[in-house]
Amino acid sequence: MSSNEQKKVKLTSSEGTEFQVERSVAERSVLLKNMLEDVGENDMAIPLPNVTGPILTKVIDYCTHHRNDPIQNHDDDPKKSSEDIDDWDAEFCKVDQGTLFELILAANYLDIKPLLDLTCKTVANMIKNKSPEEIRATFNIANDFTPEEEEQVRKENEWCEER
Amino acid sequence: MLKGKDIKDSSLGSSISQEKQTLPIMQRPIPPEIPWVTTTNFHSLPTPAPSPQLFPPVNTEGFPPSAQEEFSRTVRMGFQNMNNLQRQRLLAELLNSCNTEQLVFVSNYISPRLKRDFLKDLPIELSLHILSFINDPKTLSRASSVSKFWRSLLNDEFTWKNLCVRHHFRRRSSTAPELPPSPTSESPSSRNNKFSYKDHFRRRYIVESNWKHGGRTLVTHISPDIGVVTSLQMCQSYIVVGMDNKKIHIFDVSDGKYIKTLSGHEGGVWALQYIDEVLVSGGCDREVRVWDIDTAKCKHVLHGHTSTVRSLKMKDKKIAVSGSRDATLRVWNIEEGLLLHLLAGHQASVRCMEICGDIVVSGSYDCSARVWDIATGECLHVLQGHYSQIYSIAFDGEKIVTGSLDSTARVWSRQTGFCLGVLQGHTSLVGQLQLHESILVTGGSDGAIRIWDLDTYRCVQHISAHDNSVTCLQFDEKRIVSGGNDGHVKLWDIETGDFIREMTSAGNAIWRLAFQETKAVVLLQREGKTVMEVLDFDAQKS
Repeated sequence: MSSNEQKKVKLTSSEGTEFQVERSVAERSVLLKNMLEDVGENDMAIPLPNVTGPILTKVIDYCTHHRNDPIQNHDDDPKKSSEDIDDWDAEFCKVDQGTLFELILAANYLDIKPLLDLTCKTVANMIKNKSPEEIRATFNIANDFTPEEEEQVRKENEWCEER
Repeated sequence: MLKGKDIKDSSLGSSISQEKQTLPIMQRPIPPEIPWVTTTNFHSLPTPAPSPQLFPPVNTEGFPPSAQEEFSRTVRMGFQNMNNLQRQRLLAELLNSCNTEQLVFVSNYISPRLKRDFLKDLPIELSLHILSFINDPKTLSRASSVSKFWRSLLNDEFTWKNLCVRHHFRRRSSTAPELPPSPTSESPSSRNNKFSYKDHFRRRYIVESNWKHGGRTLVTHISPDIGVVTSLQMCQSYIVVGMDNKKIHIFDVSDGKYIKTLSGHEGGVWALQYIDEVLVSGGCDREVRVWDIDTAKCKHVLHGHTSTVRSLKMKDKKIAVSGSRDATLRVWNIEEGLLLHLLAGHQASVRCMEICGDIVVSGSYDCSARVWDIATGECLHVLQGHYSQIYSIAFDGEKIVTGSLDSTARVWSRQTGFCLGVLQGHTSLVGQLQLHESILVTGGSDGAIRIWDLDTYRCVQHISAHDNSVTCLQFDEKRIVSGGNDGHVKLWDIETGDFIREMTSAGNAIWRLAFQETKAVVLLQREGKTVMEVLDFDAQKS
């Protein structure tokens, strides 16, 4: 790779920290790609007031690892499943829930579809095959149903148990 | 492997989220405010030696209450004035001086705060995006029991629409009519409500699982007279059964009950079709009869064929085409009872035919198939290539498929009349065919079912289905149901070719079968009698 010849792009996180990344890495983000195309050759740092430094570091890690991936086409694959996560991506998502949460928001804001899908799949996998109690424990959610409501919800959902 | 940088960053990330968690209510995503960014170069106060009694704060031993409060306030203020690195250092020092019990306390205290109610805290479109990766209805319905918010989110149509797509529970299917109103609809008003994907999914899911391991026999009719069932049609409102004992019996699709018999044919009935109330039948008496099902009256008796009418199809309620052992086809105006065209050309019995649009295709014992224009009566193509009699034909407007005693099926272009492919694999007569889009399913006298992909002309599944001839089969996007001369009716997964279950208790032979989304009808010979079973897979009232 002629990485040292490639033009660097400057990004500023919400705290004002400046990050330098190669253009091909930054362009994994559709938002940045469009911005870069709009402004052309320019040394100005792009401010990202919605992304903190630590999260931006993670995002840059992701984009660097996936810099050569083919661009994902946008039509939703009906067969998409949360099981097809490769090892590097799985390791990447082994973070606390707060970080994962911020990553989802950042991926959405920066428009990085594969990262958004990866992080959302990770959350989906945290929900799968769990009882309501286990889901509540996983995400620290209070059960706010009255006993009557709980019984009603249980009845509503009877149809897919035992099948 | 995580690099050192990553570990540091993620721990930094978690300290941010802790910071956020201490805010009273975290509603929707707010770009995190980082208070320490501006307070740089602040020199930390000389930190008092951490007392083990600091945690838990309720333990006031050794300090009078007011002094304890005063000390806590000082520590808090000092902490607030530190920068991030200083805070981390202080926390690390404090934690280092904790014993196990205290660390467990800290851990239990912190761990819920590090958790996020993702679905509640994220913008709704992102929450739905997460749910779109779950295609297991059990998980989704359990998730709706988590909290009020999750329940309301999981009632969202988007998720269930997605699930319908994923499970191929299409709202309208090209191969089958839309589901009739569910018997489980509680009140007439609920039926007037707008379409709900969740309800649709639930219904289809129950139906689907009933197909696999549930369902019930709605009704079993045992015919007092022994007769061979030659023809069957189930759609819309009726099940119509043609017999070799001259009778046509009509049953109600909804409950399987017998309605009436159409009598008039003087020989066995060998072919029939109905659209709405108009029924056309033909048989050994060489006549084609047009009936009004509502009144049970025969409207027209059409003479012309000089031998048994072996096949018959309706183009619509005005035009029908009959094929006969006399080697001709005849196009009839069934409204007026007039012969429109005599289609001559075949050299032997016309065994099978299919209509699509203005085109009728016929398969004959002369080993050829022909393509005819119904409007003009002109023969457009003669399809030659089979080495033996043609017994079965399918036609979708573009492709024609013929099944022959030469144990092959051939695919032809309706446009050019060219043979596009020869499908080899069966070891005996290919008597059963069904074509839908690029999927062709064939059943043979070798007892095998083969699934073919007509994009590649490859056999994608080979199922050893029956010990004897496959006498009938039908498939839709999910399943194949087959009946055999071995007396068994079997259900197969069309995707994998896996055997799922037997649909009825075995008989001596299966004559005919047909199914819709929630019902199946099987006509068989059992203990020497002619039996009709109607099976129902719909959701039942609990």
